[in-house]
Amino acid sequence: MNDAAQRPLRVAFVGKGGSGKSTIAALFARILAQQGSRVVALDSDPMPGLAYALGIYVDDAPLPDELVVAGPATGPEWILRPDVDPLSLIERYSVKTQEGVHYFQFGNTRGTWGALSRGQHAWSEVVKRLPESAWNLVGDLPGGLRQPMNGWGKYAEVALIVTEPTTKGVMTARQLAKLTNAKWGPRKIAVVVNKIRPTDDANAIAAQIRLPLAGSVPECDAIQRAELELRSPLGLPGTEAVETAVRALVRTAQGL
Amino acid sequence: MKIAVIGKGGVGKTSVSAVLARSLGRLGKPVVALDCDTNPNLGLSLGVGEEESQRILTMRQQVDEGDVEHALGWDDLLDRFGTDAPDGVRLGIVNRIENPEPSCPCCGLSPERLLSQANFGNAIVIGDFEAGLGSYSRVGNEKLDVTIVVIEPTPRSIDVGLRALDHARSHHQGRILVVANKVRNSKEAEMISTAIGDTSITVVPFSEAVASADRKGTSVFEEANADDFIAPIRQLAKSLN
Repeated sequence: MNDAAQRPLRVAFVGKGGSGKSTIAALFARILAQQGSRVVALDSDPMPGLAYALGIYVDDAPLPDELVVAGPATGPEWILRPDVDPLSLIERYSVKTQEGVHYFQFGNTRGTWGALSRGQHAWSEVVKRLPESAWNLVGDLPGGLRQPMNGWGKYAEVALIVTEPTTKGVMTARQLAKLTNAKWGPRKIAVVVNKIRPTDDANAIAAQIRLPLAGSVPECDAIQRAELELRSPLGLPGTEAVETAVRALVRTAQGL
Repeated sequence: MKIAVIGKGGVGKTSVSAVLARSLGRLGKPVVALDCDTNPNLGLSLGVGEEESQRILTMRQQVDEGDVEHALGWDDLLDRFGTDAPDGVRLGIVNRIENPEPSCPCCGLSPERLLSQANFGNAIVIGDFEAGLGSYSRVGNEKLDVTIVVIEPTPRSIDVGLRALDHARSHHQGRILVVANKVRNSKEAEMISTAIGDTSITVVPFSEAVASADRKGTSVFEEANADDFIAPIRQLAKSLN
């Protein structure tokens, strides 16, 4: 079970809105934590869902504004105060799940729409300075193209595009596949087909997107009910097939 | 008349927008369906097909790359980057994020600017917005005649919907209506109507016809048994007159 020798993974989940990124990201993070790895789960969606999926029931894990000071004239605008140790911030300010996933959120818009608060800049600084050898990062980006194409998932070496087996999902995924062209883009991009029914063909979907298939996850009534009740799907009866599928996805991602 | 359709990702904004546009078209109204998502796929739901959707997008890309003279007028935009959809609806795509760049993707033209500044004459313009509130929240005050908030019966979608309603009210964005989509039973309908108080609500049942059309990338109008989905939105279209 414990696989501490496994190289830590930095993965970002992207895809169309409603495709199931948060659910899969939460399962993914928990499975890594159960393997004995240290895991940070990052939510940059201003309408966060990852916290709920993890069973945390807070959608905000801010850093105090005073931890951030103005950056140099050459940019960036804000930097973490030089005397602050980023790891201590993770321990102190992230929200921890029972399995030891460290959750934080850095896309929340409070008050002013569009602008990031200083505390949110601080979290992005923490991510940059997190030692790669010690921490897994599992990021959940908002649906659509805006954040991913603007480089919000730069921390990830692997981008997993979650799509339902629909034409809109495939069209979105094809656009996201262009992240490979970015200098700062992920080292690997692959597709996760979610909510598939027995009549769907995940391989055919991945072929349409022209990317490798990293995993396929079955449609699941229990997860849909959990969503209705604002409950975490983690460990719920009826989700076993989904969990097995995400376990396989973790193994595949670790081998990418 | 300018209408914005907003809500959480995946709630069915595009499916609702498309049926609303074609229903208004069938009533004989001049309708512009404006895809305001940087990841546009309204064309599929309107029934213009994947190939045609892709073709308009490619034209848009040529402008961004400077191969075509840049045109900012809304009628130019619709001429050049639009296409005819069924039932007399003219589809226009405002912009699409084409390439990964850590910069502004809007090329000077954004849905919020277009809807704030352009005069669309007597056309009914239906703006199918990007998920969340980012783009919608940048539309100028009192620039819209109708705001339609699409909500599915999940707490997270309701949460986004309530934030959207707050924003719409405080920025005076015209008549404010809720479409409760993918509703499976009266308990789910009640969950939404309780949350939104006395805001006007149109309940649209969960529809396998929409799921089927989405898998094929076609319009729900081509599906059998789609009337459960279409009829309430047709009623909504009539009430907008």
